[in-house]
Amino acid sequence: MNPSNQQMPIVYLENVSKVYGRIHALSNVTLGLSGGVTGILGMNGAGKSTLFKLLMGKLKPNSGTIRLFGEDPWKNPSPYARIGFVPEHEKMYDWMTALEFVSTFARLFGMTKAEAEQEALRVLDFVGLLDVANKQIGRFSKGMRQRTKIAHALVNKPELIILDEPLQGCDPLARTTINNVIRELGKSGCTVLVSSHILTEIERVTEQIVILHHGKLLALGNLHAIRERLDQIPHTIHIKGSDSRAIGKSLMSHPAVFGVNFPSDNELNVQTFHFGQLHQDLPKIIVENGHNVQVIDNPDDDLESILGYLTGGQAHGK
Amino acid sequence: MESDAQKPSFRRFDRKATAVAEFTMKQYSKRISTWVILSVGLLAMSIIMLFYFDTMLRDIEAVDNDYDSFDPDGDGYPTGQELLYGTDPYFDQSHPGLIDAGILPDDPSLWVDEDDIDWDSLKEGSVGYDDDGDCRNAPVAPSAQDTNRDGIPCNIRISAKQFGEGFEIRGDNYVDEDPDDEAYAKEAIHRATILALGKFGFVFLIGIFLPLFMATGLIREEMESGTMHFLIAKPIRRAEIFLYRMFGFIGITYPYVLGLCLLCALLFGFSGPSESIFRLSDIGIWMVIAFATLLAILAYGMMFSMFGVLWKHGIILAIPVAAWELAMMFVSLWEPEASVLRFSVLGWATMMIDAGALMLWPDLEYMIEVGMWGGGMAPLQGAEQLMVFSSNPGLGLSNFASFLVGSAVLLFQGIAFWLIGSALFSSKEIS
Repeated sequence: MNPSNQQMPIVYLENVSKVYGRIHALSNVTLGLSGGVTGILGMNGAGKSTLFKLLMGKLKPNSGTIRLFGEDPWKNPSPYARIGFVPEHEKMYDWMTALEFVSTFARLFGMTKAEAEQEALRVLDFVGLLDVANKQIGRFSKGMRQRTKIAHALVNKPELIILDEPLQGCDPLARTTINNVIRELGKSGCTVLVSSHILTEIERVTEQIVILHHGKLLALGNLHAIRERLDQIPHTIHIKGSDSRAIGKSLMSHPAVFGVNFPSDNELNVQTFHFGQLHQDLPKIIVENGHNVQVIDNPDDDLESILGYLTGGQAHGK
Repeated sequence: MESDAQKPSFRRFDRKATAVAEFTMKQYSKRISTWVILSVGLLAMSIIMLFYFDTMLRDIEAVDNDYDSFDPDGDGYPTGQELLYGTDPYFDQSHPGLIDAGILPDDPSLWVDEDDIDWDSLKEGSVGYDDDGDCRNAPVAPSAQDTNRDGIPCNIRISAKQFGEGFEIRGDNYVDEDPDDEAYAKEAIHRATILALGKFGFVFLIGIFLPLFMATGLIREEMESGTMHFLIAKPIRRAEIFLYRMFGFIGITYPYVLGLCLLCALLFGFSGPSESIFRLSDIGIWMVIAFATLLAILAYGMMFSMFGVLWKHGIILAIPVAAWELAMMFVSLWEPEASVLRFSVLGWATMMIDAGALMLWPDLEYMIEVGMWGGGMAPLQGAEQLMVFSSNPGLGLSNFASFLVGSAVLLFQGIAFWLIGSALFSSKEIS
């Protein structure tokens, strides 16, 4: 496969492998992405950061082809004029103000000082940091620092934005703001790649996912479709309520339930063959029977379960 | 806003260069270590200068080289005065007062430093004049007045050395034998200190230690801390990042060196020996010292920054280089024409100062030769220091050509280390 630049997706990898000593950080990954928000999902060490470092020209692949806007990023930094990158690294220039930080890096795109400052104010406003633009980054919370990094990545009006674990360590308010920004960017026509090891984080911003596992591309596509298939396998729903035994009795009559157990007096785990159907009926059953429920949790609805399903139960092994 | 495509590319480069350099300078200014290094440099230079001021403020003892201020016969007339009138300095019944009662004994101090050197350049031929008459009027045979055997009584004969470069000075006895020690010593020590400060203080101390502590981490620290991700994720080549970061380093160190040079020029200019308030004649040598130091800083800065890219502990690679350069410093003083000096940065920079000194102080060679001759007696005070700290460029070229070659080589070294450093940086994976 050797598509011409016109046909080539914005992000294009063909049989890309990256090895650190004896560790295969990325194995034979082939991927093409253009448009919309794509979540790069994977556990820690799955190869997400390696993938991004390869895309950002920080690492050289051992084999395979990488193209960003048709250019090899290891050899040519010109595609970065159209890209914004938010690194995972926490270290920033704490002595700088947010405005200085964003405008300094804006000047690396060839802007004048005045243009850079104007653009910096625009993007700081976009991420909700205009009020604190002249405050030192060292005094910022984790969430504000992340938003500053995102602002710096948007200053060149990029066509492709890459965010490496942007929500890590952020408070709920910052998460909401950052998720809104990511969704906005997706809607505005940008290609957005966002990595995470938490399924629900990605789910809030996109349906389109790439799952990496042990350096291999495990799945690529719509999260919904994967979920529907996941529905067909046994699931556990964890419920906390004042009368767990009464709740268990009400649920046992549901056709999708095949087992109930009680870890404590006010907790129960419900086993189901058809998670989707039970999830839909559960509120109605609780209300009709007048149960007092505090928490409904689905411990199987996480990345590990999906990986377990996709790897046939080999998620923790190679 | 002008679109990116419309902008001339050089202007975009210029903007990137300014942005990275400004950012790097700000980064330096926010670090305490920068101010500590610059302050230590200033302190070290101040200590060297203190020795100079101590010498300049002290009276240098005038030496009566020919012992003619003494009165061995006790008649009250110093020997010099008796010899001038042809009386016997060792017999108290022979003195100028007996020739003419109106001739009173001179103050003995008038016969110290009374026969100064009357020539101011080294040219082959006959020079000198016996100011005090102790050669011309001495009651001796004519052959005793021509001890240098050049056929001319009471003169100095300058001739080219038979072996090697330079001149040979052969004087008749008691001609120009009692020069003004203080005037010579102050001038010689003034010049020797400027050269020593230029070579040891500026080129070695400032030239090496500023890059050692400030440039080694120029790229490496960004790679280690993770902040390099912000820089390299931009449309800018790594060779440019290396160069523009170096501009930032230069932006801090060059004004510092120029300021320090200006300070020295003012202090030495006002306190150096001069008939006017300020020694304007030294401005040139300070400019040469500044220029040589700036080029040395460029070469060392590029080299040490390259070491930082090459290895996490680049400073460990830089320390042996600093030791080698220190060794070269001593070689440049004792064996200035040694070819091993060509394998150093310092050798070329000190050569530029030597060439500049010979250009700007045309009488430097004369001062050294005359000082070492010392009126036919022991070397004058300051002559040996001046001889140690000034050298011949040793390239076999004119002083100006040697200066240009030195500048070109240092510039070339800087560019070569930048190219090597950039190539290493470009092939380096950053994780």
